[in-house]
Amino acid sequence: MNRRKQWSVFTILISIMLVFTACSGGGSANNVKNTTETKPSDSSSSAEPGKGDANGESAAKEEITITVFSMLANYAGEQPGWFAKLIKDKFNIKLNIIASNLAGGQQKIATMMAAGDLGDLVVFGSNGDDYQDAIKAGLLLDWNQNGLLEKYGPDILKNAGQAIDANKQQFGGGTAIYGIGHDVGSGEGPSEGAEMVFGPNLRWDLYQKLGSPEINTLSDYLNVLKQMKELEPKSDSGRPTYGISLWSDWDGNYMTLAKVISQMNGYQEGDGFNPAGLTLVSVNTKEWQGILDDDGYYLEGLKFYFDANQMGLLDPDSLTQKFSDVSNKFKDGQVFFSQFPWLSNAYNTPENTAAGKGFALIPFQQEKIVSYGMNPYGGNRVWAIGSKAKDPERIMEFLNWLYTPDGMMEASYGPKGLAWDIDGSGKPIVTDYGYKALPANTEPVPEEFGGGTFKDGMNQINNTTLKNSMIHPDTKEPYDYNLWTSVLNHDPDPVTKSWREAMGAMTPREYFVKNDLIAVHQPVFTGDAPATPPADIQQKLSEIGKVIKEYSWKMVFAKNEEEYNKLKNQMVDKAKGLGYDEVIKYDVEITEKTVFANR
Amino acid sequence: MNNIKPGQVSRLHTRLDRSLLSRDKYKLFLMALPFLALAFVFSYLPLYGWIYAFYDYRPGIPLKDSEYMGFYWFTSMFSNDVRRQEIVRVLTNTFAMSGLSLLTSVLPVAFAIFLTEIRSTFFKRMVQTLTTLPNFISWVLVYSFAFMLFSVDNGFLNNVLLNLGLIDRPMNILASDSNTWLAMTLWSVWKTLGWSAIMYIAAITGIDQELYEAAKVDGAGRFRLMWHITVPGIMPTFFVLLLLSIANFINNGFEQFYVFQNAINMGRIEVLDLYVYNIGMMNSNFSFSTAVSLLKSIVSIVLLFAANHLSKLFRGENII
Amino acid sequence: MVEKKEKLGIFQILNYSGFALFTLLCIFPFYYLFINTISNNDLSSRGLVLFYPIDVHFTNYMDVFKLPGLGLAAFVSLSRTVIGTALTVFASAFLGYLFTKNEMWGRKFWYRFLMISMYFNAGLIPWYLTMLNLGLVNNFLAYILPAIVSPFFIILVKTFIEATPISLQESAQIDGAGYVVIFAKIILPLSMPILATIAIFAAVGQWNSFTDTLFLVTDQKLFSLQFILYRYMNEATSLAQLMKQMSGSANMDLANMATPTSIRTTVSMVVVTPILLVYPFFQRFFVKGIMIGAVKG
Repeated sequence: MNRRKQWSVFTILISIMLVFTACSGGGSANNVKNTTETKPSDSSSSAEPGKGDANGESAAKEEITITVFSMLANYAGEQPGWFAKLIKDKFNIKLNIIASNLAGGQQKIATMMAAGDLGDLVVFGSNGDDYQDAIKAGLLLDWNQNGLLEKYGPDILKNAGQAIDANKQQFGGGTAIYGIGHDVGSGEGPSEGAEMVFGPNLRWDLYQKLGSPEINTLSDYLNVLKQMKELEPKSDSGRPTYGISLWSDWDGNYMTLAKVISQMNGYQEGDGFNPAGLTLVSVNTKEWQGILDDDGYYLEGLKFYFDANQMGLLDPDSLTQKFSDVSNKFKDGQVFFSQFPWLSNAYNTPENTAAGKGFALIPFQQEKIVSYGMNPYGGNRVWAIGSKAKDPERIMEFLNWLYTPDGMMEASYGPKGLAWDIDGSGKPIVTDYGYKALPANTEPVPEEFGGGTFKDGMNQINNTTLKNSMIHPDTKEPYDYNLWTSVLNHDPDPVTKSWREAMGAMTPREYFVKNDLIAVHQPVFTGDAPATPPADIQQKLSEIGKVIKEYSWKMVFAKNEEEYNKLKNQMVDKAKGLGYDEVIKYDVEITEKTVFANR
Repeated sequence: MNNIKPGQVSRLHTRLDRSLLSRDKYKLFLMALPFLALAFVFSYLPLYGWIYAFYDYRPGIPLKDSEYMGFYWFTSMFSNDVRRQEIVRVLTNTFAMSGLSLLTSVLPVAFAIFLTEIRSTFFKRMVQTLTTLPNFISWVLVYSFAFMLFSVDNGFLNNVLLNLGLIDRPMNILASDSNTWLAMTLWSVWKTLGWSAIMYIAAITGIDQELYEAAKVDGAGRFRLMWHITVPGIMPTFFVLLLLSIANFINNGFEQFYVFQNAINMGRIEVLDLYVYNIGMMNSNFSFSTAVSLLKSIVSIVLLFAANHLSKLFRGENII
Repeated sequence: MVEKKEKLGIFQILNYSGFALFTLLCIFPFYYLFINTISNNDLSSRGLVLFYPIDVHFTNYMDVFKLPGLGLAAFVSLSRTVIGTALTVFASAFLGYLFTKNEMWGRKFWYRFLMISMYFNAGLIPWYLTMLNLGLVNNFLAYILPAIVSPFFIILVKTFIEATPISLQESAQIDGAGYVVIFAKIILPLSMPILATIAIFAAVGQWNSFTDTLFLVTDQKLFSLQFILYRYMNEATSLAQLMKQMSGSANMDLANMATPTSIRTTVSMVVVTPILLVYPFFQRFFVKGIMIGAVKG
């Protein structure tokens, strides 16, 4: 009897295994169904394209769920809130977002590529390796197929035709179209909004108390910071104050905050077209420098921070703290110098600015701030459609809308009438609700607009289409609400007011342009795709990068000039031993071939 | 080590004839088979991917279209002087930290033994539960806690020492290269001690209580009981875990070292796993990381059998 | 364990205070993190909350509990923990027992076959493709099946069983009991302490696991609790990633949306609590030593 019992247990075990196997088989069938809800392709619904019809026909269209694989998204799962409601009403579409950044980053991308399915709508973080490999591997749909783009994407062709052409030349062998770049814009001048990407921004109130001393070069800031520290040795909560506070968790192949100095001098890492290596390249001339060049901007940056440390102006925790720690120190008023305007905005709370305390741009006279410029060929973040997409027509219609003026406004700021509106004279205004909710606050959204909070309901794909400093054809104002006349004149705080009076400009952007302290990146059109460095160059790059990072920080905290120079020599020797010259040679070659040849 | 009485064994053998035994041997195997199949599917099948180590593999592009690299990824790590120095440095760190963690692997044993000496059940349970807490805090949070304690600007420790007048300048403890190995070991002991002790507590619970009773009748004291009954009772578990950690000698993981690394301590904190992460992951070179993990698997398995062999030599028994 | 009533000797004093001290070392960080989650977020982010909470509030916790899909995700996590743990414990116990049997065909080989697999790492892509081909993408079984056979647990059970007297099994065998009966009647009760250990390890592993969700699941019905929390913690903190990947044009407005430490901490608290609640339940298997005599009788 025991024996029988024993065998029956064994049999049960086996059957469990069988059930599992069966289940997993069933699971895979489900899985196919889940990714996209299939529907018989409905030729009548795809007869007429255009934005007007999108509204009218939504009732006729079956609801579909599009899998959006976005390498830029910071949200995974179904698109919630007002944006979900908006596109449900317009297109009867739901978005299921896969965000590689929340799921293992590059590794997630690799698994999707290896599996041969990138979902329906694909957003690439760059037009480098991943995008080019996806094309090579046949994972992306050619938009010429069945006249897809012509029929369903007329506004893309109208508003971003050059970007389509560029993509065709660079990635499609002159015939196929696999995608389109982001931030498409045209015209001269800077592309930024009211503020530029870089500063430097300092404590405006203290600067005025010091009598607004003249600042010609970068090193002039140090004396000003020293005096600021004397003026205000303790922060709001009684902590010691510092001129400068740094963080290391954003470092790539070098110390990012030292590299930023080059961006205040008209240079940037790489040429802006090919992937960045170890060169700093001028944004509008044919000049470049190696990152370790003795008279280069990177070393100038290191020296600047080293000098700051020698003068006791550098936060001693700079090496060990993370970005969020620094951000909190700004909030508390412990830091006086900010490389980026958006960083110091943390201090410009209504309470602080009302008391006259706040950060504002204080440029140096030799500054040439980098502007990324308008690029009619599109930026390097690419929109594409997966080759296994079930409803390319519907996806294209959706993408088309994102490239229209209406799509620009509504996808960024919500449906008209909620956070923004058009006034009697046809000019855009931000509503009372908008001042509370914009740019991304957790303000509750009324149920009729989709509910939830404004922040959660935002377009979670997180890629842009047209450049938001472009002019809206109807309102004749930029898409970016920060540049609307009504917003610029909306009750400026005391700090902003005083800055405007002293500098004679409404915005930092205006100031830089007026005083010619700006270097605008020139867009480049070339028939070649951005380079994809071979594996051995990439490996060298990351090994050298490790050395540069390590020594850069040691140099900043060196005890004296002598040690600083010793470390510098060691860094250069080690980098050369790892193949620094080869990487530079490679970088310069690709830059000369593509960017300089067309500049 | 087990108290098998000779009489029983012989009696058993007379009862079971050979044919029964040979039927049993397949039956036992068949009972294990479904599980072995699972292990094969989930652990052995994916190993075909080791072939990527010999190519310049890019996900999505079929292998036949990828460039064949031979042993390039294996040899490139040693291809010139600077790299060889790097590898030596990284391996030194790896060995130092693994060595320290082998040394500290007796701590959970001691923890378990001494904990069983606590008579208050409430206290014992409290200690047991609360000491597992650090195991559940991610290294990222551990670091933010460490930063709160040790930062220069407003670090707890610096504040206390300054107020007591023991130092006149704050120390930058996190950005220091003295005793990096030891500090990392201490962090990891703190984090895992209570958790690893669970296994030994279980092993102690499994010791036959009669042994203690008998020894006590013979007049043995506390420490003699510990040494002659408890310690031998958990030795098998200890040796098994020791063997596994010897095989893991070159795998330190990278998370802990990743959050604590900075330019100053980089020279000593960079263990093999972190090194590979720092140079391999940044640009997602899958072939290179496959080559490294292949090498590591081989080293681990060699170490596993070597340690097992040693155990056979010195203790007369196989562990695996 | 020591039943003779002793005076509180120097040994006991040292022993108690040693454990008390170490326990404090373990709790304090936890306490510190906890008071920061219930204090004014502005103060805590500026590092002003050190020993006791200030301006107590629970909005951080409310925010976590308001996350959409939390209920379903908790159910998924609970299911995978219960089912996964039960199967893992059973398989480890059963296999651990089988491998103590010298007469098993190819015992040494198969045992090593399992042990070695602990040191294999084929890499992410082959693993993913294998799972995909097995139909384990967007499938609940992906949480369960790979975890069933765990060599580490098997080796623990085997070692444990080998340390118990063989005489018990033999006398049962003489009474005509087969392997399964011996396993159920003798081995299982005997190895309760180690099985409880494995149960804790496996349950914590299941409960805390989210990498499988990251790579294998896109269907939000199958999101695990840990994944939802992980996503919540990391929204907009991938900024550093962006900075590294992209030259220049990174959208820096994101910086101000980076998740504050208070939220990360709150999430850790939420994750640990269930473990702390369940753990004492398992502890009763450790408190008393087993009496072999009792089992025998």
